[in-house]
Amino acid sequence: MSERKTRFQRLTDFLSDRLPLHKLSFENMVTKKEVPVHGMSWAYYMGGLTLLFFLIQLVTGVFLLFYYQPTVSDAHASVEYITFFVNSGFLIRNLHTWSSSCMIFCLLVHVLTAFAMKGFARPREITWWSGSLLLILTFSFGFTGYLLPWHQIAVNATKVVLQSIEEVGRYLPGGFANLPTYIKELIQGEASVGQATLSRFYALHVVILPLIFFATLGLHLLSVQLHGISQGIDNPSKKTERFFPFFILKDFWLWGLAFLVVFILALCLPFESFYSYPLFEAFDSLGSTPDGIKPEWYFYFVYYPLEILPFWIVMLGMTFAGAGLFLTPSIFKHTSRKVLSIIASVAAAYLIIITFFGQAIYEAFKGVSG
Amino acid sequence: MKVVLSVLSLTMIFVTPALAHPEFQRHFKETSGRTINCAMCHVHPDGPEGLKTGQIGSLTPDQLNTLGLARQANKPGSVVKSPILNEFGNLIVETLGKDKIMELKQSPGSLPDALSKTSDLDGDGITDAEELKDGTNPLNSYDGSPVKLLKINFFRNWFDLFMIVLATGLGFYGLYNLLLWLSVKAGRKGQ
Amino acid sequence: MSDQFLFIALPYVALISLVIGSILRFRINAFSYSSLSTQFLEDRWLAWASMPWHIGIIVILTGHLLAFSFPGVWTTLAAEPVFLITVEVVGALCAFLCLFGVLILLVRRFVDAKLQAVTNHLEIVVLLILLIQISSGLAVALLHRWGSSWAPGALGPYLHSILMLRPDAAYLSDMPPFVKMHIATAWVLLMLLPFTRLVHAMSLPFHYFFRAPQKVVWNSSRSEARFEQRLEKDTERRLFIKASVGLGASAVLLSLGTLDKFFKYFLKQDLSNEQEAHLLSEKLHRLKQSAQEREYELERMSKDDIFVAKLSDLSKTKGKYFIDYQMRPALAFRDENGLPILLSAKCTHLGCTVGQDLDEQGRVLCPCHISYFDIKTGSPSAGSPAKDPLPHIGWALQNEQGKTLLAQDAEGRREGSIEPGQLESSLLFIVKRFSGEAA
Repeated sequence: MSERKTRFQRLTDFLSDRLPLHKLSFENMVTKKEVPVHGMSWAYYMGGLTLLFFLIQLVTGVFLLFYYQPTVSDAHASVEYITFFVNSGFLIRNLHTWSSSCMIFCLLVHVLTAFAMKGFARPREITWWSGSLLLILTFSFGFTGYLLPWHQIAVNATKVVLQSIEEVGRYLPGGFANLPTYIKELIQGEASVGQATLSRFYALHVVILPLIFFATLGLHLLSVQLHGISQGIDNPSKKTERFFPFFILKDFWLWGLAFLVVFILALCLPFESFYSYPLFEAFDSLGSTPDGIKPEWYFYFVYYPLEILPFWIVMLGMTFAGAGLFLTPSIFKHTSRKVLSIIASVAAAYLIIITFFGQAIYEAFKGVSG
Repeated sequence: MKVVLSVLSLTMIFVTPALAHPEFQRHFKETSGRTINCAMCHVHPDGPEGLKTGQIGSLTPDQLNTLGLARQANKPGSVVKSPILNEFGNLIVETLGKDKIMELKQSPGSLPDALSKTSDLDGDGITDAEELKDGTNPLNSYDGSPVKLLKINFFRNWFDLFMIVLATGLGFYGLYNLLLWLSVKAGRKGQ
Repeated sequence: MSDQFLFIALPYVALISLVIGSILRFRINAFSYSSLSTQFLEDRWLAWASMPWHIGIIVILTGHLLAFSFPGVWTTLAAEPVFLITVEVVGALCAFLCLFGVLILLVRRFVDAKLQAVTNHLEIVVLLILLIQISSGLAVALLHRWGSSWAPGALGPYLHSILMLRPDAAYLSDMPPFVKMHIATAWVLLMLLPFTRLVHAMSLPFHYFFRAPQKVVWNSSRSEARFEQRLEKDTERRLFIKASVGLGASAVLLSLGTLDKFFKYFLKQDLSNEQEAHLLSEKLHRLKQSAQEREYELERMSKDDIFVAKLSDLSKTKGKYFIDYQMRPALAFRDENGLPILLSAKCTHLGCTVGQDLDEQGRVLCPCHISYFDIKTGSPSAGSPAKDPLPHIGWALQNEQGKTLLAQDAEGRREGSIEPGQLESSLLFIVKRFSGEAA
């Protein structure tokens, strides 16, 4: 008998190792599940928090659908109608915006901590990959949702991003040079950002992305429950906590707190008051572009580098980061958690610095060069 | 009479130079750090000149008439609603008069102090003068300095906040006891 | 006259009886300062009666006490509809609990033989009065709604007058019969309190919280084990009840104070005529705007040349925006020699619309990423993020009769000629044959 397995066998082995469906029972997934207790245990709650904010997004998003009208002439008016005339419409919309930011924040913390705790190590590759996809989907939600109010900053920021895609073409060899333009027009749907773009973004934001998100989230949660929670530290103590009911009740406790905070924020602090562009007019295709066009804060990590560095460096960096995200399970297979924590801290430091001080750094650079 | 008036105002428009005031915009943009365009005081964000809604080129003869009258409002207290200004712009003209505005062009920073200390057109709890200083829209109740808005709305919504804090507190109490109950039950089962 | 008796004489009799009766009973027989338990004789009914009764009456009495002790605070709170509804709903639920409990208490006194042996007339009378009191309270709550809002203001002054020894029954003269009945019965209950089992309400067992722990010694290990087991079960049950009460109350408050907003979101909006008109005009304005855009588009598809402006209307320092044949924004300036300069206003960097104001060096600025473009050459200044020049746009000058005098294509090749005198009156057009896609 030969030792070598056929390709098909290897695939089935891989899958049965990664998705141990024989463990698919209530007992295994709920009653017997244990959560390790150690100094990093708080990080186990971040995924649950992200899920809470996603659920808030889902509910408030469906609510907004009742009044929102996705046409170029009515989109902005309908958003204004929700904000100023619908009973507690302001609350719902503000909840949607605040919770989107909270979701992205928790998601980033979740990704970084899961990375630092080596949550991607075998057999949890599928958890990591589905999680990475969820990360990208969440950012896509942010990007598509930003356009829907159809105000000046939203449309102009979207234009800038779509134009950047075309820019990639300059660095591609001959035959591929037109590919980015092609992709841009596929997303945009017409010569410039207009009704076709709005309809596409609406369809993406409201139907397509949620459907993909549900499927991916299902796979993510299934594999999390099948494998149980990763040990998280190199020398795990023996102390564990039962997932059900103890961990999950603490999770709910945290959910209550998180909802309280986001509700207070949504009730008292309009998210839009942070935008520097204050007048929120509807997009006027014949008027001038106002200054202060910026994406949401969670895109600063790529926006400011784009402003400061040459385009191709940023694109190269983003390509590597994206590839690295999906290849993490194989790249860092043998890396210790200590090293992983250092990498995660560096990434976190970068995100914090660029988000808070991006503007200052940008001005410093421009001041020197100009 | 009407014809005479409109002829008069038409000539006024062509005789008097366009009276946009970018000095103020520039000043408050710099001091507040927020981007401000002409729509702070004007109807159209690109200012009064042009053919679009709220710009001089789009006005009907009647509106041109009013504009002509509005331009003569040199003293405070005129209640003419200029068709190229928004509510806030008109309020400035009404409280100060054109002469004073022209005078303030030399020191744009003192415009807020010259305005009413109480007027709050959008009712968000921050006065128009303060909003001008902060570079936020005095006509949008959801635009304002975040810190101020948070403070004001916190007290405005005290009851809702009280209810949800109470509800969360009770929920925590319930969850806490549920946890205890379950651990007592689990302990008994373990024996 | 009866008012004078019920609301002035009776209260004082009741208060005197309450004070003197309680003191005397305590002095004479301190150990009777409680109520005799009948749990020993009958415990199945009792659990269903005593628990609801006590839970209900504690909540209701606390509410009454708070409302009459702090009428100002209470009235402010009750001005909030949500608070009012919460209080009324909780109050009514507790009243029904009490009614349920008191009815069972009453029935069991009549049907259980063992109990009848220890039942005296006063027990029955007290239960009946309690029944009346609860029923009249419920009747007030149901018939004269929002009592928690009006009662402190209406009845507070009366109580105040009694306590200040300046009794005035006039405060109650307009009250509906059920309210009067409720108040009178309350005085009767206070009067009887020291002589009945109700006296235990005045001996709340607070010392349980502070006393030293008691050690219970069992005479057999089996009964000890049984006791332990029972104790554990009791703890468990207590925790479960606490948990349910906490979660339930939280759910009620959430749905009344927070989630009601989500419900309101779907109600029909209450807009004034003025607001409706404002909304409609906004909408119309935007429709006109998009209609205009469509018109522009159609015009550019079907016409060979499109009017931009009278040449004399163009400025040398401030560009005029117009829409080119590709439906993109463009700018029109005037040269020093009086001829037009037309160039695209779509920034070659990332597609923002460049500004219309010319700076001292004859450049326009794209605000998005700070690119300066020289309008004569179209090229960006050194250091701008934009690398490609803004393309120029071909134009034609026509006289008022529609005859083309001078035309220039995008590359700057001219055809025709124009007299300087004709410049001021000539009209500026963009021409299809000069625009890229037409060729």
